[in-house]
Amino acid sequence: MNKSKGRKIDRREFARKAALLSAAMVPAGIAFAEPVAAATNEQLPEGAEKLSAEGRVEAEGRFQQIMSQYGSRFDADEQNRVRDGCYNLQGSLERLRAFHLENGDAPAVYLKPLVEREKKPLSAPAVGAAPTAAKKP
Amino acid sequence: MLKESILYESVGELAKRIETKQLSPVELTEAYLERSQKLGPQLNAYARLLPVEALDQARAAEKDIHRGHYRGPLHGIPYAAKDLLAVKGVQTTWGAKPFAEQVFNYNATVIEHLKNVGAVLLGKAAMIELAGGLGYMYASASLQGETRNPWDISCWTCGSSSGSGAIVTAGLAGFAIGTETWGSIVCPSAFCGVSGFRPTYGRVSRHGAMALSYSLDKIGPMARSAEDCARIFAAIAGHDPLDRSTLAMDKAAFTNSPAGDLKRRGLRIGWLKNAWKEYEPGVSKAIQAAHKILPRHFVSVRDAELPEGPWEDAAVVVLQAEVASSFGELIRSGRVKELHDPLGRTGGYVNLTVTGGDYTTAQRVREVLQKKMDALFESYDVLATAAQPAAATPLTTNLITGILAFPDPVGAIGNLCGLPALSVPCGFTEKNLPVGLQFIGRAGDDAAVLEAGQIFQRATQWHRKHPKLA
Repeated sequence: MNKSKGRKIDRREFARKAALLSAAMVPAGIAFAEPVAAATNEQLPEGAEKLSAEGRVEAEGRFQQIMSQYGSRFDADEQNRVRDGCYNLQGSLERLRAFHLENGDAPAVYLKPLVEREKKPLSAPAVGAAPTAAKKP
Repeated sequence: MLKESILYESVGELAKRIETKQLSPVELTEAYLERSQKLGPQLNAYARLLPVEALDQARAAEKDIHRGHYRGPLHGIPYAAKDLLAVKGVQTTWGAKPFAEQVFNYNATVIEHLKNVGAVLLGKAAMIELAGGLGYMYASASLQGETRNPWDISCWTCGSSSGSGAIVTAGLAGFAIGTETWGSIVCPSAFCGVSGFRPTYGRVSRHGAMALSYSLDKIGPMARSAEDCARIFAAIAGHDPLDRSTLAMDKAAFTNSPAGDLKRRGLRIGWLKNAWKEYEPGVSKAIQAAHKILPRHFVSVRDAELPEGPWEDAAVVVLQAEVASSFGELIRSGRVKELHDPLGRTGGYVNLTVTGGDYTTAQRVREVLQKKMDALFESYDVLATAAQPAAATPLTTNLITGILAFPDPVGAIGNLCGLPALSVPCGFTEKNLPVGLQFIGRAGDDAAVLEAGQIFQRATQWHRKHPKLA
């Protein structure tokens, strides 16, 4: 469980952490290419109060990252929608990360080797034949 | 001119008429085309009708049958395919403006399979843009506009296989093909009052289908009965070297047992007590009535519970991460702005921020869940619950904040684990909107789910009800 869930941080600290996190997540040179307006917004999206302090910072950082890269594409309504999406995702991530997993709990994805029968049969190239790439359309 | 009642017959009934030459595939195709041309636009059911191609296929089927080359129950039966399945030389729009002019030069494997058994492709069914993968707030999130529910045209069909649901319930084709990543067959089937089957992941090839979420996407039939679903599933299931996610030959193929030959293995039903937080009253009444019927027809019906855990969250993270890859270029390029729905235009950007670590965690949680669900199926052959806790909603409903914004653990679990599920009609609300009952089976035991549906439909007549259309 995330022990820090519900811990209060002030708005200034929150904005500072979000900006730092955002800068860390965005490739150098792109960071803050767009105005970072929402970091100090007083209104947090609905449901944000259910997130841990770190979760709110991470959600805001996620939003700032998107705004840094793509901010000019959005009007105010769209920015709000992106921000809501960031906080919604954060809720899922917090619940997911709080779920107890053992180190040996492997992911539900595994490499299925390309077995011989699934390979497209390859015919041996004739001696002296021109490579396919040399053919003109 | 064929009687309207014939157009509402099941594939099985139509096939009997065709096999005995009482019904001409050409005549049937012409009748469905005429009805589709008249009613299709009112419902926004089709992305595109293919009258020339359909009549060519119908004539070929008729010729074959007259020569004595009857290929089986789908021979000469007209159907519609969701507009995310590639059909050679025909626009395949994925329901989205950025792909409106897209044409493939090959058929999806499912289309090929249906061609091989002689089914007649009548047209491409309308759908939610990109199968809703980037999110959507309104029923209108489609290149074709909102699909109207034939039971009440002021209501939605649900998505993303919206057109497939409308086409089957309005008697515009013999059956339709839908796809499901999370709810896109089960929900439209319930809202439209048709039988819709989501097969086990890996049993039906997705080659030539739009990829939304590589580990969640599935293709399945939507039809007028569970028996029809079994017939169609038998035609489209099977290993495909062109889709490496398909199961091995012996695990993917499906042989349909005709209705009279049900093995009657004595199915144990687990009635899910914690699938939905609450029901709309009209839905609750129909579901309770269905619950009462089950003990008379199954060897046991006992209460069952889904395991507790962050399954929906895992499904959200898996879906968002995979969509960030499948439509990453569309999002990064900014062309996502061409989508119709306001949420679809912005949702993808959030998907891009899901990290590899979180995606892997979600996949680890998924593995834990798969084991828990497999253990649950030691006690039950089939789980049953409402397909949806609500009936069809008005077209203008905000899907994020409105009545459909309910938790859906059963959909998350079923799709995360790749479990087969079938929605069958089980009654109506006081507003005469259909209610669906859902059967869910163990991965690979599609037969049990289809059998449960057939047994239920032998005891009820809900699947024989049709909307009155002008």
